Amino acid sequence: MQKLLTRDQIQTLRKGTPEEKQSLLQSLPADTRDQVLTTVPQGMRQQLMAAVDPESRRKLMKANTPQQVVPSDLTEGKLYRAIYSNRQLEEQMVDFWFNHFNVYLEKGADRILTTSYEREAIRPRVFGKFRDLLEATATSPAMLFYLDNWESVSPDRAQQIPGRPYGPRARQLAQAKAKAKGKQARGLNENYARELMELHTLGVDGGYTQKDIIEVARCFTGWTIQQPNLGGDFTYNDRVHDKGEKIVLGVKISAGGGRNDAEKVLDILARHPNTARFISTKLAKKFVADDPPPALIDRMAKTFKDTDGDIRAVMTTMLESKEFFSAGAFRAKVKTPLEMIVSAVRATGAEVNYAMPLGNQIAELGQPLYRKVEPTGYSSANAEWVNSAALLARMNFALALADNKVPGVKVDTGAFLADPADAARQLLFGDATEQTIASINNALTQKQPTPGLVAGLVLGSPDFQRR
Amino acid sequence: MTLPQTTRRLFLKSSGLAMFGIGTAPAWLGRALYAADAPSPRKKILVAIFQRGAMDGLNVVVPFGERRYYSLRPNLAIPRPNRTEDSAIDLNGFFGLHPALSPLKSIYDEGKLAIIHAVGSPDPTRSHFDAQDYMESGTPGRKATSDGWLNRALASEKVISPVRAVSLGTGLPRALRGQNEAVAIANLNDFQIKDTRGADTFESMYQGTIDQVLNGAGRETFEAVKLMQSIQSQPYRPAGGVRYPNGKLGQSLMQIARLIKANVGLEVAFTDLGGWDTHVNEVAAKPTQGQLANLLTEFGGALAAFYRDLGDRMADVCVVSMSEFGRTAKENGSRGTDHGHANVMFALGGGVRGGKIHGDWPGLEQEQLYEQRDLQLTTDFRDVLGELVTRHLGNPELKTVFPDYGKPKFRGILSA
Repeated sequence: MQKLLTRDQIQTLRKGTPEEKQSLLQSLPADTRDQVLTTVPQGMRQQLMAAVDPESRRKLMKANTPQQVVPSDLTEGKLYRAIYSNRQLEEQMVDFWFNHFNVYLEKGADRILTTSYEREAIRPRVFGKFRDLLEATATSPAMLFYLDNWESVSPDRAQQIPGRPYGPRARQLAQAKAKAKGKQARGLNENYARELMELHTLGVDGGYTQKDIIEVARCFTGWTIQQPNLGGDFTYNDRVHDKGEKIVLGVKISAGGGRNDAEKVLDILARHPNTARFISTKLAKKFVADDPPPALIDRMAKTFKDTDGDIRAVMTTMLESKEFFSAGAFRAKVKTPLEMIVSAVRATGAEVNYAMPLGNQIAELGQPLYRKVEPTGYSSANAEWVNSAALLARMNFALALADNKVPGVKVDTGAFLADPADAARQLLFGDATEQTIASINNALTQKQPTPGLVAGLVLGSPDFQRR
Repeated sequence: MTLPQTTRRLFLKSSGLAMFGIGTAPAWLGRALYAADAPSPRKKILVAIFQRGAMDGLNVVVPFGERRYYSLRPNLAIPRPNRTEDSAIDLNGFFGLHPALSPLKSIYDEGKLAIIHAVGSPDPTRSHFDAQDYMESGTPGRKATSDGWLNRALASEKVISPVRAVSLGTGLPRALRGQNEAVAIANLNDFQIKDTRGADTFESMYQGTIDQVLNGAGRETFEAVKLMQSIQSQPYRPAGGVRYPNGKLGQSLMQIARLIKANVGLEVAFTDLGGWDTHVNEVAAKPTQGQLANLLTEFGGALAAFYRDLGDRMADVCVVSMSEFGRTAKENGSRGTDHGHANVMFALGGGVRGGKIHGDWPGLEQEQLYEQRDLQLTTDFRDVLGELVTRHLGNPELKTVFPDYGKPKFRGILSA
């Protein structure tokens, strides 16, 4: 750096305004600029990222933290859509279904598989038939890798090796051979089978047994990936498939069904009444209240069954219900961190030219995007989001946003109304509570008010945390 | 701050909102510092350090007495003790410390540092993701566990501090999630409303709101903030000119020391340090160079600084380190090691029976290795943590802390 720039220039990169940094970089010859971007020390990188144009930002990231490029594109894409899309319900649904069929971005190959998972498996089907969505996730490399089904093989796969005798003796031989090679003897992995029933379809008390889990896992043997670390596609490997007869939830799946065994499982699960109820309940908990009225769930579940799991129809039943517009559902939900931050950016009409700082804020509020380790996804319950560190982070974000202190985001503070009640109406799309207005008014008598401060206080108020 | 504690507690319970925050007496705040009726100011404290990425225990506490260690690792082995800084630091004639851990040697000699070798999780997984998850949930092999062992290790108490369970870093780690209130603090000095113009106003909004969920949590937040202010107002100077290393672990341990000395009711703390996944360039030209040496310099320096800084207060404190699994006994082709099985844990503190290597040594001969490639496990990590939870923190409910584990076998890591 010292060789490339004068001391004053380095100072500007360190301490200057975003505009100063940007114009300094623009003034440099192209090759000097590239060299600066590839050698900038870690401490200055994040600030610089927000200040420079997208092309320079990409160079900066590729040179210093190439492993961040794909996750960062994914996160930024999600935020731009959430903030600017005219189809807000669709974005909510993509978020809902991704979370329902959660995968974890940091688990090995999922670092590169998650982008296409959301784009190709989830997004096109969020209002479609549940069975199609289930199929898309079951065959997605991201899910096969995340829940380990790609390495699940028939425990009796010795029987598939041609020219070998069948039976327990052969199995012992195969295991001993694998052990001698220093490899773990592979076998059935129940992980996906369990989560498929517990989390994706029937629900935890959905009426399946440990025996059902094993039978479902047997049906899914051979559903795997070609070369997971190269982003390979789904493939069915008949060699490692368990060829025997299975019984899933009392339904017989005859021997020799091959790949179709698992398709039959998905049919059974997608059309099971407990699935209709489980999915309806989860949607109502997300969109209506933590404890939604049973009558509403009944009607949604009926629509689910009557329409063979048509998600659009189930949503229509919910959105047109009297319960949805009832007093009990009014502001019943605490916004998730994603909703809080996106709604604050939307309410202030902010212009975002680099969304990663917003993604980092969402993580600080407790919801790192694409990084929920557990297959459960994030809970939509209010309790999940209400804790000391997270609340403090919400208030700090609110003040920082309205004061133009969030890198990469620009708010027009001139557009805020100065009167607290007016400002609250402007940002909340409704009246604030008396307590909130009184607290702000009280603050204004003691301090130097700016429109940014008033707006920040509204965005950090209890009122804004609800939706 | 008008409701007396019992009233608010009852209110929370009866309205079914207790889950949103176990109430603390707002009134105790004013008298929290050094007051006689403050919540047990001299509680026992457990600090857990997670070394993410799978530390290479065999190069950290080196079995230099094993000839096979040297044949398995021709390029990576730490030489037998020879009084130079490029050799192992002899502990007992068989094991030695990596030279980068020299700051820990005198603590070992003082009997306050215990080492547990061939310890870890019995689950066979070699996935970082699964193994960390299992070690933090405290339930190897079980994915559905939603809370962490360190959260469950907190006993139920009548009066609790808003900062009884703290994680240093953003986001609450798996180990600390659960029913008991636990806060993540990236930096003590940042745990506040940064724009001071907003602080009082937010407090009054959240205290006055009829929104019961946000009201309860808001109160707790501002209680914790006030508690932190009393700490933040004084610049922190470690005792006796101790200097913490600049990295993440040093800074985290310094903040934990600061919380401990402030007597604000801390009971458990968690912090982590990543980068231990040394597949490549684990050891460079000399043993004191390379990825592992750099990490151990930070690790040893931070632990020693923490120990010296707390001084007599270490009598109440126990630090324990863990990593999700060990690494292959044999080196790989790129001056590194791959994912293995058993590992090393450290326990540091006033009550520790240190100056000793605990656990049984399984040996490194081919037939002694786990799956013929990794150090065999002879101590379950829950035996170590279980002893600390019961005998140090005083929580006997190990069935809750480590469900499905039966009866942990204490190894005598704490002195009687």
